[in-house]
Amino acid sequence: MSTNLRHAGFRAMGTYCEIQLYEASRISAKRLVRRLIDEVSRLESKYTRYRDDSFLSEINRSAGNQAGIKIDIETQKLFEHARSCYEQSDGLFDITAGVLRRVWDFSRRKIPDESELEGLLPLIGYEKLNWRDDTLLMPANMEIDFGGIVKEYAADTLATLARELGVRRGLINLGGDFAAIGTQPEDRPWPIGITHPEDSTKMMSHFHLSEGGLASSGDYERSFILEGKRYSHLLNPKTGWPCSGLRAVSVAANLCTVAGSFATIAMLKPEQDAIDWLTDSGLPFVFMDGAGQIGGPGLTDSSY
Amino acid sequence: MKKPASRSLIALSTSALALPGIAEADAPPLTSSLSYKISNYQEDDLSREQVPFGELERYDIDVHQFQFVSPLGRDYALFIDANHENMSGASPWFSTAGSNGQPVINMSGASGIYDSRSEVSLGVRYYGARGNIGGAIGYSEENDYRAKYVSMSGSRNFNNDLTTLTVSLSHSDDSIFPSDAERFNRVRHENKQASSVAVSLSQVLNPVASFQTALSLTGQSGYLSDPYKLQDSRPDGKTQITFSNSLRYFFIKADGALQSDYRYYRDDFGIRSHTLDLSWFQNVTRSFKIVPMLRYYSQSAADFYTNIDDFLKPLSESQSSDYRLSAFGAVSGGLSFVTDFGGWSATLTAERYVANEKYSAFTVAQPSPGLVQFTRLSLGVNYAF
Amino acid sequence: MRLILSFIMLALLAACSQVQPWERGYLAKQEMAWDSDPLERALNDHIFFSKEASSGGNTAAGGGCGCN
Repeated sequence: MSTNLRHAGFRAMGTYCEIQLYEASRISAKRLVRRLIDEVSRLESKYTRYRDDSFLSEINRSAGNQAGIKIDIETQKLFEHARSCYEQSDGLFDITAGVLRRVWDFSRRKIPDESELEGLLPLIGYEKLNWRDDTLLMPANMEIDFGGIVKEYAADTLATLARELGVRRGLINLGGDFAAIGTQPEDRPWPIGITHPEDSTKMMSHFHLSEGGLASSGDYERSFILEGKRYSHLLNPKTGWPCSGLRAVSVAANLCTVAGSFATIAMLKPEQDAIDWLTDSGLPFVFMDGAGQIGGPGLTDSSY
Repeated sequence: MKKPASRSLIALSTSALALPGIAEADAPPLTSSLSYKISNYQEDDLSREQVPFGELERYDIDVHQFQFVSPLGRDYALFIDANHENMSGASPWFSTAGSNGQPVINMSGASGIYDSRSEVSLGVRYYGARGNIGGAIGYSEENDYRAKYVSMSGSRNFNNDLTTLTVSLSHSDDSIFPSDAERFNRVRHENKQASSVAVSLSQVLNPVASFQTALSLTGQSGYLSDPYKLQDSRPDGKTQITFSNSLRYFFIKADGALQSDYRYYRDDFGIRSHTLDLSWFQNVTRSFKIVPMLRYYSQSAADFYTNIDDFLKPLSESQSSDYRLSAFGAVSGGLSFVTDFGGWSATLTAERYVANEKYSAFTVAQPSPGLVQFTRLSLGVNYAF
Repeated sequence: MRLILSFIMLALLAACSQVQPWERGYLAKQEMAWDSDPLERALNDHIFFSKEASSGGNTAAGGGCGCN
C-alpha cells in the first residue's frame, strides 16, 4: 500500500538501534515501532546484568541455593542455545565465564595474577550447571550472562514480531546486529556497511541482506594494548586469558542469533581454526585477522 | 544456501529456531479496530402453484453487525460484538396435499412472526509464547426467543508454529415463548440447551499452503420443534457431528489465493450433508481485490420429514414438513470487492442462493415445495486505529 | 469418501516442508487466514443455520436464534 520508508532510532541494550519499515499498511507505523521497542525493553530488563531487579540477576543470586530457581520457557530455550554454542565451540563459548570480570578490568587495563585466575577457573564450566526439570541449580559463586546471545535474539524477535503484525519489508538494527523483516520494494536487498575495526570512517565490507540476519563481533572496542601485547576482552574460559585470534568477524545466516553465535565463537577460536570452521559452515563472512588483513568469502555478493 | 549445512550450522540453527521469540508465537492484534457491516437479505416470492392461498412473500431481513477489537496490555485482546436484525415476511405454516396430490404450502400471516433480534457478546483472549486461550459470553433476544451462551477455546502451537491444535467448547441455554401462543394453541414457554466441543488441527505445508482438519460434536436437548408450524414435533434430543477440511493456497504468479472448505455433517435426525465452499481472492492492485465465491450444499432428509403434514399423527411421534429437514441441494455464488486505504477497508458483497431438489446429492424421496432462493447484498467497513 | 479424504490429507502432510521464519510472508496475508472476514463468516453461519439443517464446523457453536 504505502511505499514510504519509515525510520525510528532509539537507544537500547547499551547501544544505538534503528528500525526501518516499508508498507506498514493499515497499521500505524508509530504504534508498531512502539510495540517493537517495548519488546526490546522487555528483553533488556529481563536479561541485563546491570540491574538488580532483572531476572538474570535473580538467577545469579540463586547460586548456591539448594532449592534452585525455576526457569521460564524463554530462558530455558536461551540456555539450550547457550549449550549448543558451548558444544559447537568445544567449550570456548561459555556463558558461565562472566566471573572472570571480577579480576579483569579492561577500562583500567588491569591484568590479573595467575593465582587470581586459577581461583576462578573452578567456577567456570557450562557443564557444572545442574537442572532438575525446569529448575536450575547453580553451584555457589557461579555466574551466568547471556551477553553473547540476547541482542541477536532480540533482533530476530523484533523481525518475527514485525512480520506477524503485517510488516512485509523492513530491517531491524540493534547496535550492528541486523535482522531482515523482508526485502526492500521490488525484492531489493538492504545494503549494509560493515565498519572497519580500526577506522570507523572506513568500510571493511558491504553486505546485501535480503533475508535472515547479519551479526558482527570484534575486540576493537574493549581490548587494550599493554607493553606491546594485545589483550582482547574475549577471554578463554579454560585458561582465563584472552583469546588471540581474529580481530573482527561478520557473519550472515538464516537468523541473526545464528550469525551472532558464529561470529562470537569464531572470535574465540584460534585464527586459522576460526577461518576453517566458518568456511565449513558455508555462510558468507568477512574477517580481519591479527595482522590486520581482511578476508573471507565475502559478504559483497548476494545473500548466502 | 548452496552448500550442504555443516554440523555446527544445523545445531545452532535448531536451538535458535526453538527460541520463543523466533518460533512465531501468536500476537494479539496490534491496533484496535471497529467494523460495521450492513446487509439486506431477500428471499424470492413463492409461486401461486406452491401457495394456492395467502401471502407469497417470504423473508426480507436487514442485518447490522458491529465488532470492536482492542489489544489489552501486551498479551490480551478484547472482543465486543453486537448485531441487530429487522425481519419482515412470512414463513410456511403447514403443508397439505393440493388438488393433484402434490404438496402445497400454507403461509403464516403477512405480519410476520419474528420482528427483530439483537445480540451482544463479549470475549477476552490471552496470547502466550506457545498459543492462546480465551472465552466469550453472549446474549441474544427476540420478541419470542432468548439465548445465553458461553464459549472457551485454546490453541497450542508446535513444531516451530507450523502445527496448531485448537480445542473449543461452548454451551448455550435458550428459551422460546412463541407469539400468539394462546390464539394458535402453541407451546407457551420451552427451553433448549446445547453443548458443543470442537477440535481442529492446522498444518503449514509449505510457504504458500496450509491445511486444517476439524471435528466437532454437539448435543442438543429440550424443545427442538418449530412452534410456528401446525404439526411439527421433533425428538427432544439431537446429536450432531461434523468433519471439516480446509485448504489455503497462495498462487504467487497469479497473485491470488484459493480458499477451499469442505464439511461433512451428520446427526441423529437422519440428516447428512456435504458443504463445499470455494473462494478465490484475486489481488488486482495493492489496495483492491476481487473475490468470487461458489458454494455447493446438499443434505438428506430427516427420518421424520414428510412433505405433506399428517394431522392425524399423534404429536408423540416425530414429524415435520419443515423444508429445512427435506432432502435438497443448494448452489450459491457471490462476488466481493475489497478495497484498502489508510487504516480503512471496505467490502461490497453480492450473493445469490438457489435451493432445488434437483441439486441434491442424496436421494430425494419427498421434495419440499418450500425450498428457498435468496439474494443478499452487504457493505462492510473496517477501521484500524 | 472418507477414505479419499484421508489419503488427500496424508498426501498433503507428505508435502510438508520446513518453513523458515522469513518465508512466512505469504501465509500471513489476510486472504490466507482461516477466517479472512469474521463478520462475513458470522453472517453466513447465521443465514445457513436458519435455512439449512446443518450447523457447526471449525469451532464450537456460538449463539442461538429462534430461526431454526
